[in-house]
Amino acid sequence: MNPLFEKIAQFVKNNCQADDYTLNIDLGDSHETRFAQNAITQHIAGPSLNISLEVAFGQQTGSCRVNQGDEETLKHLIRTAEGIARYNRPDPEYMPSIGLQELPKVNNCDPETRDLAPEKMVEIVGKSIDQAKTWGAMVSGMTEKHLWEMGLFTKNGFAGYDTNTTFGHSMTLKKDAVETKVSYSAKDFGGFSLEQELQRLGSQADSLADLHDFDPEKIPVILRPSAWEELLWFMAWMMNRRQSDEGFTPYTGKLGEAFFGPKFSLRSTLKEPRLSASPWDLEGIACKEISWVENGVLKNLPTNRHWAKEKNTEPISIYNFYIPGEGTSEEEMMAMVPRGLIINRFWYIRTVDAKAGEFTGMTRDGVLYFEDGKIKHAVNNLRFNEIPHDATRRILALGKPQLTSSIGMMPTLLIDGFNFVDKTGF
Amino acid sequence: MKYLDLAMNAAASLGAEYADIRVQKTTDEVIFLQNLSLKNTSNSVLYGYGVRFFKNGAWGFAHSNVFSDEAVLATVKRAAGIAELSATVNRDKKLRLAPERSYIAKYETPVLKDPACIPLKEKIDLMLEANRTMLSFEGIRRAMFYLVMHRDEKLFGSTLGSRLELNTQWITPMMTATAVHDGDSQSRSFNDGGRATGWEWIESLDLIEKAKQVAEEALIKVKAEPLGPEQRRTLILDPIHLGLTMHESVGHPTELDRVLGWEADYAGISFATPEKLKNYRYGSEIVNFMGDNTLCEGLATAGFDDDGVPGQKWFIIKDGILNEYGSTRDTAMEIGLESSRGCNRATYYYDQPINRIPNLYLLPGKEELSPSELIADTEDGVYIQGQGSFSIDQHRVNFQFGGDFFWEIKNGKLHRPLKKVLYKSNNPEFWNSCDAICDQRFWRPFGVINCGKGQPSQTARMTHGASTARFRNIRVGGSQ
Repeated sequence: MNPLFEKIAQFVKNNCQADDYTLNIDLGDSHETRFAQNAITQHIAGPSLNISLEVAFGQQTGSCRVNQGDEETLKHLIRTAEGIARYNRPDPEYMPSIGLQELPKVNNCDPETRDLAPEKMVEIVGKSIDQAKTWGAMVSGMTEKHLWEMGLFTKNGFAGYDTNTTFGHSMTLKKDAVETKVSYSAKDFGGFSLEQELQRLGSQADSLADLHDFDPEKIPVILRPSAWEELLWFMAWMMNRRQSDEGFTPYTGKLGEAFFGPKFSLRSTLKEPRLSASPWDLEGIACKEISWVENGVLKNLPTNRHWAKEKNTEPISIYNFYIPGEGTSEEEMMAMVPRGLIINRFWYIRTVDAKAGEFTGMTRDGVLYFEDGKIKHAVNNLRFNEIPHDATRRILALGKPQLTSSIGMMPTLLIDGFNFVDKTGF
Repeated sequence: MKYLDLAMNAAASLGAEYADIRVQKTTDEVIFLQNLSLKNTSNSVLYGYGVRFFKNGAWGFAHSNVFSDEAVLATVKRAAGIAELSATVNRDKKLRLAPERSYIAKYETPVLKDPACIPLKEKIDLMLEANRTMLSFEGIRRAMFYLVMHRDEKLFGSTLGSRLELNTQWITPMMTATAVHDGDSQSRSFNDGGRATGWEWIESLDLIEKAKQVAEEALIKVKAEPLGPEQRRTLILDPIHLGLTMHESVGHPTELDRVLGWEADYAGISFATPEKLKNYRYGSEIVNFMGDNTLCEGLATAGFDDDGVPGQKWFIIKDGILNEYGSTRDTAMEIGLESSRGCNRATYYYDQPINRIPNLYLLPGKEELSPSELIADTEDGVYIQGQGSFSIDQHRVNFQFGGDFFWEIKNGKLHRPLKKVLYKSNNPEFWNSCDAICDQRFWRPFGVINCGKGQPSQTARMTHGASTARFRNIRVGGSQ
């Protein structure tokens, strides 16, 4: 464990007079190179530290956060949190801090990513721009690496420490009317190949050159993993046990029912080595294998400790997304329906109707029209109003799971009758 | 101030063509109450500094939370090294900075009652009473109250010689009641956004009465009927609703960094490209948008931006024509402007400032007109209050908005409440369909406290404002 974390934890243990406390420490080091229109426009580096303390006197709670670890600041941290708690009103839903937990062994830190030099990152940006220039195009994006150390300590004996890394490189290419994007985001730099990413970017751009006008309609779509992940985040945000029990989400009364399509499963997993998995959640609960949806049946909903106690169940939370696939290729998918669209990415998704679980959003970075098993041409971007859990009932096929981020792995999906309602002129 | 001089002398000795240091302490007091349970009562202080170093047409930015001579000098050196690395890529495309002079100045948000001096008990008792008021209505299943009090204390120094002390603060109360009825759930909120003022604003709001109104309207909404299939209708939009519409469809498209494509990879670009300046009809002749970083109680009013450029007031849309952008020192030069409009802002000390929407508002109508007169003058339409769903494409053309509370208008009267109403439109159709704006008596501000943009993501604040306005022939209906 980082000695700074031990020092801060010991100081709080020695000086906090509250009945209970929970101490969170995050220490980060980031390097972010942002480029646009073939030039670097921002370039940022520096460390960060967050120390959060929540204390309780009986059911009266108070929290404070600071970003410096010297004794004077730590005294302020304790004094402020205790001061708030002393003058606060009791919280009827207060839960004592968590005790000792047996935490899973995880490996979220990649040494190669941790040690990646700024010069190497700038070299990646330079090569990306040089390639765009040879294509007569403009490229914009960001190259970033982050190293995080995290600790959680409680008065009741929890002591956890973990480190994680992420590396990301995104590129949006603009050439004439064509705009398209590829991005890599993972815990390990070792899995990154700039050549492959550039090849993918060039190939996507070429496929979009012939743009045709297309009116919105309900139509089969091949959702590539990045598109589905965007939608999944919003769907998962609604998957909350308490909100559902109280009647605010589409999942009210649906636990144990075949509420999703039979081809759809959703898990959080410690078993997939390419996915990061935090050893504990926000409340300190040890993460474990969880099946949220299994072959369409809603098995579990994220539940915090208070609500778990109320409902006499276990507290659980989502820590990563894994959707198993079937291995159907895009070519095979195109042959399964008479015509349809291939979607690279979605953008600006927002809730339309929380109770119905309905969202709106736009396509972005390339939409392809296919017919008779073959891509015909690109089409304009489209707006959808769609209910994702309902869309899973229309899944016709799944591809192989692919890494979409350090905490997401999912396949391409073929979904029937996706509801597009409007279009753009580009 | 000693670190400012130390850093700027060091930057000059390292050959900076320009450099600045921003020492920033951000304090947030947050109280979140839900169904009488205090989910969060917290105080947060983030304190540190960021150094920008500009050389050979490229930026380097380094930040630190350690205050010592050695740490400041190391941070300047790190920023210089990063700028040199950036310059190796920017060989053929060097950034340039618009000219600016130096300033020695101080700015402080005018506040009568500092929220930090109001006892915690007083704040929480008010929130609890509002929560209880909402929950006393049968059918209200969730009552929320979110109170944020924010303060930024900045010291800014640049190699131009500027030395600025900028202390700003704002406060926001937000309440939501959620009703459940017959298998549906609907919410209604009081949300005027944030305001750069003190506790006196909270005292003037009569939040208990507002909590009652919000609960009553949530119950009306959950029992209301959907509008039905989409068709072209007349829309009347209240100032709070328009705050969000103008933010997305006017504010973001007129940020010069988007126009230049600098946000292409994430937040998106803009259809409002430079060749359209002074000739593109963005809206009807009664549509005038002002950028104004001097606006009283405005969230982007801070005396100066993070380029050290003073707050200004200018037309962004004039008589319906695209007039000018919101710009920064490094974006202004790209289209040949002589100076920046002062829109470069960072969220925390560790953020490199980026081009942001200024305080931006729709000027009120010149003729006397009240919202009730506007409704009386409307045969058939929909009146939308407050904010709901919102989504716009990455060029800022096609959009879809919901709202918080809806009435059908028939024969000049509020006919029946509605729910699940959406409208779809685009630029320039929407603002060109504006045929009436109520007068200045009905102008209300809305302070955005959570405008997300940039990589890494930052959250900026700015104030919008409008009087209730009417839009003809817009596609309005349900979601399908």
